[in-house]
Amino acid sequence: MLHTKIVDSKKEKILTSSAEKFIKDSKFGASVYFLGTVRNINDNKTVTGITYDSHDEMVIKSFEEIYNEAHQKLDIKDKAVFIEHAKGHLNLGEISIIIAVACKHRDQAYVLSRYIIEEIKKRSPIWKKEHYENEESEWLKGNPIANEKF
Amino acid sequence: MKIKLELFGASRDFSNKGHLNLEIQEKASVYDLRNEIIKYLDKNFKGNESFIKVVKSSAFCSENNEIISDNYKITKDQKIGIIPPIGGG
Repeated sequence: MLHTKIVDSKKEKILTSSAEKFIKDSKFGASVYFLGTVRNINDNKTVTGITYDSHDEMVIKSFEEIYNEAHQKLDIKDKAVFIEHAKGHLNLGEISIIIAVACKHRDQAYVLSRYIIEEIKKRSPIWKKEHYENEESEWLKGNPIANEKF
Repeated sequence: MKIKLELFGASRDFSNKGHLNLEIQEKASVYDLRNEIIKYLDKNFKGNESFIKVVKSSAFCSENNEIISDNYKITKDQKIGIIPPIGGG
């Protein structure tokens, strides 16, 4: 069971309550919630906010691929996964990503949650522009997109 | 052939429209498209080095949202996305 969405910050916010509703099921005994939030310092610079950009279709496709791989690579068949990533401007402390997973047992839930965030970092086309206290801003360097065919 | 290059991440600084309209030769490859973008930057941004670096380190994606490599042949007018180095989360 998978839910994915790009959340436009101009229209709505990422809510942990939505994730909880989606993954809640008595067949699962372990849930892990991972939240990424906007931090106030990066590389010794005072950050005031971040603008996120996204290639929406490719991001959703990458989330689906990562979810499907969990079955083959991690052998976790029974699971509920809720992934949302923000797009647009976020202030300090606001949620940029939520990955909520529910599995039968805790070891699966921890492994799955970690696997998803690490793969998103490598494969999902999302970009960050940091804004600083002196009114300057900068696109973060990032890493070349990982692709098996590339 | 006419290519609508959709801009993402750092490449958004190449235009305030969110895309570039480029003209490439028949049967050009992604490699040729990359060079065409560099030509555009030479002309419009005096060869801005950090912009060129973005182009050289970028991947490209097709209308079908597949990553396409430098030797991929572009056979028709289409929309192509430039994918600079990523970093979400």
